[in-house]
Amino acid sequence: MNRRNLLAGFWGLVVFLLLSHSAYLWLGQRIAPDTDILALLPAQQQDPVLQQSFSRMAEAAQQRLIVVVGASEWAAARRAADAYRAVLKSREDLIQLNDGVMDQTFSDGLAQFQRHRVVLLTARDEAALRGQSNEYWVNVALTKLYSPFGGGQAVAWQDDPFGLFSGWVQARAQETPVRPRDGRLYVGDGRLEYVVLPITLRAPAFSLAAQQSVMSLLAQAQSVAQNIAPDAEVVVGGVMVHAAAAGEQARWELSVIGFGSILGIVLLIWLAFRSLKPIVLVMLSIAVGCLGALSASWLLFDRLHLLTLVFGASLIGGAQDYGIYFLCNRVAADAQLDSWQLLRRLLPPLLLTLITTVIGYMGLALTPFPGLRQIAVFSVLGLVFAWLTVVCWFPVLVRSDTLTKIRLANWYVGSLARWPLLGRDRRTLVVAIVFAAVAIFGGSRLGISDDIRLLQNPSKSLLDDQIKLTRLLDLPTPAQFYLVRGASAEAVLQREEALKQRLDPLIERRIISGYHATSNWIPSAHAQVARIQLIQQKVLNDGGPLAVLAARIGEGDQWVTATRERFRTSELPVLLDDFLKSPTSEPWRYLWIGQVDAGYASIVAVKGLSKPGLPILEGAAAGLDGVRWVDAVGAISTVLGRYRHYMGWVVVFSYIAVYGLLYPRYRGATWRVVAPTALASIATLALLGITGQSLQLFHVLALMLILGVGVDYGIFLQEPGARRDPIAWLAVVLSALSTLLSFGLLSLSKTPALQAFGVTMLIGTTAVWLLVPCFDDYQVEKTRGL
Amino acid sequence: MMRGVLPWCAILSSFVLLGAAPVAKIQELLARPKVLCGRFDQNKQLVGLKKPVKSNGRFCIVADKGVLWRTLQPFPNTVRLTRDEIVQLQGERVAFRLSAKEEPTVRVINQVMFALLAGHLGELEKLFEIDGSVYQNSWNVTLNAREPAVAKAVGKIALDGGEYVKNVTIDHTSGDRTSIVFSALQSGTDAMTADEAALF
Repeated sequence: MNRRNLLAGFWGLVVFLLLSHSAYLWLGQRIAPDTDILALLPAQQQDPVLQQSFSRMAEAAQQRLIVVVGASEWAAARRAADAYRAVLKSREDLIQLNDGVMDQTFSDGLAQFQRHRVVLLTARDEAALRGQSNEYWVNVALTKLYSPFGGGQAVAWQDDPFGLFSGWVQARAQETPVRPRDGRLYVGDGRLEYVVLPITLRAPAFSLAAQQSVMSLLAQAQSVAQNIAPDAEVVVGGVMVHAAAAGEQARWELSVIGFGSILGIVLLIWLAFRSLKPIVLVMLSIAVGCLGALSASWLLFDRLHLLTLVFGASLIGGAQDYGIYFLCNRVAADAQLDSWQLLRRLLPPLLLTLITTVIGYMGLALTPFPGLRQIAVFSVLGLVFAWLTVVCWFPVLVRSDTLTKIRLANWYVGSLARWPLLGRDRRTLVVAIVFAAVAIFGGSRLGISDDIRLLQNPSKSLLDDQIKLTRLLDLPTPAQFYLVRGASAEAVLQREEALKQRLDPLIERRIISGYHATSNWIPSAHAQVARIQLIQQKVLNDGGPLAVLAARIGEGDQWVTATRERFRTSELPVLLDDFLKSPTSEPWRYLWIGQVDAGYASIVAVKGLSKPGLPILEGAAAGLDGVRWVDAVGAISTVLGRYRHYMGWVVVFSYIAVYGLLYPRYRGATWRVVAPTALASIATLALLGITGQSLQLFHVLALMLILGVGVDYGIFLQEPGARRDPIAWLAVVLSALSTLLSFGLLSLSKTPALQAFGVTMLIGTTAVWLLVPCFDDYQVEKTRGL
Repeated sequence: MMRGVLPWCAILSSFVLLGAAPVAKIQELLARPKVLCGRFDQNKQLVGLKKPVKSNGRFCIVADKGVLWRTLQPFPNTVRLTRDEIVQLQGERVAFRLSAKEEPTVRVINQVMFALLAGHLGELEKLFEIDGSVYQNSWNVTLNAREPAVAKAVGKIALDGGEYVKNVTIDHTSGDRTSIVFSALQSGTDAMTADEAALF
């Protein structure tokens, strides 16, 4: 007795520590859950450089927002944008506007390139230098000379008579359609004129507090802008906009699932026991479970994802099983039986139900998705803490006279007697044949899907905005790009150039609209030397374009010599390091990954990509050393598919493991424990097929959890106690209903993965619930006896 | 082959551009025909070249359409500016084409042009600082771009004229200098020849 009180006291201490730690986390540290959807995605463990390139692309994007304010008249757009800007300016602690610097930087940057103009050529001019006649180049120079429009440039005509450097400058300027205009940044689509406002976030994009402040600031700015110009169109893009929308949705789901489950369970227990005490007891076990899961997960991970909490809310449905099971058995047991003695009798089935459920959740932990692992660990911890609360405290808190059986509970139990049972008869055979037929039919119609949109499904309006901004600003796609690697920076640049030679024809064929690459700005040393030679051989040579041009404009050898000298003094090699340090390179720096492991790496980003172009772009990298086409979307789909397959086998082997685990206790009746769950899983798959759903990883993961939860019901009904008093049926009913409730609520989630999980659990748990009593052999004997 | 679009903006603007010095006064002096054609004589003094580079030709400005600039001597070459593109023609052949889709500034240039032709001088003042004077029926102005980048690319522009613009002088930052004199100006529907009309 003493030892038992010690156990309860010890658990009291643990709970006290949990409470203090949670209070410290929420009140002291003011922790907030993570909303970064990328945290859910698997790391590319096999290739750290690839992983680095992914995070490089993500980082370049996540701390930025871009706003465009448009109107049919430039003047209206400008007025609206100025008003918008003024509102943003009021919160410089949150955000920083980047629209002031670009213009200045660009022209200063070009001045920096003038000293290197001989080595800076467009690919088209380079080809023309190799292929075109003297006459072509003389024509170019004369047109430029006589045109009133061609001469007025920062570079004097004599420094660039053939327009080679100007062509390169123009090409660089065209890497973005955004232009300075009236002291603002401008872009137009032929319909509306837009002011572009690039923003850098000063607060972390995935902080909930920052999201709330920034989003409300943007909304306020928009309403002010639209007050000034009512027809102004405001489009906002950026990672934070998506994160905020996803976070908002997850928070709503968290409260619906959490409160919904608790409310439902309170109601159920009230109906079953007509007493407040069991409600308090079950809530206690759930609360300790949730606190324990939260504290211990935080200690393990240092952060928690919001989706973990959403999923964790459905944990409430699972954590209450142990308490309910204990309470039901207390009601059924003899009043003479002491609660500790009852616990000793219940301990084996309680332990088995915990272990089988934990096996179910471990399926999630085996995936490479950090988010799912966190969910699994969180859930297992929650269950263990709830279980320990039942074991350590319930015998002390619940005495034999605490609860009385009531009529509704009797009615539930009575229904068990009328339940159809399986036996060696014709009816069973017919049912089995029909079941098999339906299962085969449904199974044959079950498609598969490994789409990345399972993980994140932004609303249509957000997606439309994103597409609109990408088109308007001609942005590269963040999820598909080339990763170029080499032993040295020079090797990387050379390989980029080899790749670009294959990409240029794709621009002509309109498969892509362009690309961003470091080598657009800094040619490889090899290419620089080749260009110097090319210009000497094709432009400055005796009898070449320069000499012919001199004759045409009435200049002599002296001018030719002086001009040649000018070319020679601007042959200075342009250096990557200088470029990366200059402000001009700011928008392009993300392309250069730099030194990694045993070499260097860079990104070549493509623009204007459409889905049919994907295989062509992948093909363009074929056979090029060190060039790899990276398709993050495709890679995630592949991972989802691989794990769908793999988890399917894990489910099958888990059944075998669970069977082995239960066999020592239930012997010949073990199949009766496992079969309802197995059949329910098959029925679930068939139903998914019949309703035209595609099988995805999250259905399979739910099947894993159905194994854990469903086998509990089998255990409850196969326990010796259940044979004497079918009160165990009440435990199954209460457990199943609350599981249905919490996972049913999960199926309301807007995140397709969680929804699929919820739907599968809903169908599966219902099926297990309906099937379990059919396999009760005690009942079989009883009916035979009648 | 034509490079650098920003300077176009300034030069074309400067052509019809009548600053705000006493903007209102100059606007009163200026005729605003729907079509204006005439002869131009261009004289370029380029750094490093002994002799100035001379050329001449015809030009037309059509409201709502754009500008046609035809160099006839010594090197035939036609440039056409419309709302959405800049096209360079050598004879019938398109030697160069720059659309607003490729280079968004094209549209701005043309909008500035059209604003000028419509007499929206207020709009231009936002791009240039305008300084000048009016004496009886003639006026002169100098233009300085407000944007440092435009100023750097364009340099300093000076205009003078009366009912129409007569002279344009541009001092480029590079040291090159262009001056254009307009003469034989005609306005009205028959100002444009048939082949000029065909080029639009």
